[in-house]
Amino acid sequence: MELLVQVAQFIFFKVCDLSAKQEFIDAAKSGKILARQCKKCNDVNLATVYFCRKCGNNQFENIFIDGTGHIETFTIITVPPTGFEKYVPYAWVIMKLNDSKLRISGFMSNVSKPNEIPIGTEVQIYGFDERGVLIKKSKLCY
Amino acid sequence: MQIFDVETVCVLGAGSTKYGKLDDSISDIAVKSSVSAIESANIKPQEIEAGYISNVFGIADKQVHLGPVIMSNLGISEKPSLSIESACGSGSVSLREAFANVAAGFYNAVLVTGVEKVTQTGTEWTTTYFSYCSDFFYEGQAGASFPGLFASMARAYLNEYDATEEDFASVAVKNHNNGLLNPKAHLRKKITIEDVMNSPVVASPLKLYDCCPFSDGASSVILCNEKFAKSHTKDYIKIIGSGRGGSPAALQGRDHMTTIPSTKLAAQSAYKMAGISPKDVDFAEVHDCFTIAEIVDSEDLGFFNKGEAINAIRNKETELRGSIPINPSGGLKSKGHPIGATGVGQAVETFDQLTGNAGERTIKNANIGLTHNFGATGASCAVHIFQSV
Repeated sequence: MELLVQVAQFIFFKVCDLSAKQEFIDAAKSGKILARQCKKCNDVNLATVYFCRKCGNNQFENIFIDGTGHIETFTIITVPPTGFEKYVPYAWVIMKLNDSKLRISGFMSNVSKPNEIPIGTEVQIYGFDERGVLIKKSKLCY
Repeated sequence: MQIFDVETVCVLGAGSTKYGKLDDSISDIAVKSSVSAIESANIKPQEIEAGYISNVFGIADKQVHLGPVIMSNLGISEKPSLSIESACGSGSVSLREAFANVAAGFYNAVLVTGVEKVTQTGTEWTTTYFSYCSDFFYEGQAGASFPGLFASMARAYLNEYDATEEDFASVAVKNHNNGLLNPKAHLRKKITIEDVMNSPVVASPLKLYDCCPFSDGASSVILCNEKFAKSHTKDYIKIIGSGRGGSPAALQGRDHMTTIPSTKLAAQSAYKMAGISPKDVDFAEVHDCFTIAEIVDSEDLGFFNKGEAINAIRNKETELRGSIPINPSGGLKSKGHPIGATGVGQAVETFDQLTGNAGERTIKNANIGLTHNFGATGASCAVHIFQSV
């Protein structure tokens, strides 16, 4: 019986592409974060995690978390890596999601001064392109 | 831990090239450094039984598979070797693997050489290559440079604790003062707080002088068991603790932005093996790739409570003649950061310090030295503790 389960799991892994990066990207494009909730302990993991960090289980349920949250920390980059010259200055932000313990980092365009996006600023995920996860301010007025 | 009691591991010799912008090829740099360690140990290359080579971007200087090239140039092509990559922590990880193999009795004596050659690629490409050491899908791909990743930690620290950008700057000033006394340092230049504050912003709040330079260079040590060390009439030191740890590769996976989990894990393990506590350490070489990193490291290593490194810096406790000198070599900030070599270079400094050969920067009566070196934003880390004999 155990062997059968293992064979079934093997086939399942072969059929389902567990590398969820494309699904993660598609979700980010619609303003959501794709995460995986462990079926055993309910811990929430990023979609790119294959085994639950709390209990080691590999059975998950996909959940889509609203991509709104607040800035936990950030930097404004003036000396960029190749390919980002045209975006300078821009911010790279770590945000804490409102509806989850998870944090997500990403790119924020057109930021030149730290006081434009102080820690705590409400932000949201709005896309994904060659700059990775795209983040913007939730409110226009601050 | 029992296995590590099999053999006491010693450092019998150590040597480095100058760190900086070097014209030699990566293999030439590595061989020169290896030769200096062999001469320091006063052994014949034939006594070396294996080579542990740490390097990250050999491909940028058209040479990977460095081990056999180095061993061939030392006249010992038949000896096994391997290359180890763990981003900026490659050197200490390589040291750890060499330590483990000597401790376990596989080899009597081994060569550990760390090397890097990247300055020929220019700042933009080097910044890009280094960003490949991050969790690229989440960080490098989204435009996060390494200064940017540490700048994010720096801003969180400023927000959480009573610290200022001038406090960060004073770490750079201290390390440059130490580096002035190190003939092999990359940036041998006295700087002031104002120099740091007025230097161009790279990734706010970090400025150019908060950042270590991109360097070329190599460092080497000879590790051996104590029987081998005693059979050679030569000063040696012991490695009494070795620890490793890991952290979530991406910063977003961590619960706190002002601490590095792998440092704590590696330090706990190394202190336990050595049977000492942080207060027993006489000096430390820590991973100050950016000024904020030295502050976070010195807290994670247990020298100061969380948030209190700032007061220690203001009270000059971490200066060369302070109660716990940090980065007497000048650190990554002034000595330079050839990323594959850095972790081995810290062991070279510790060897020189504990054998009384660090010249003007020698810390008097030092008995125990600690080295701390990590990869990327501390996703991988190794801590080693050394004791004079």
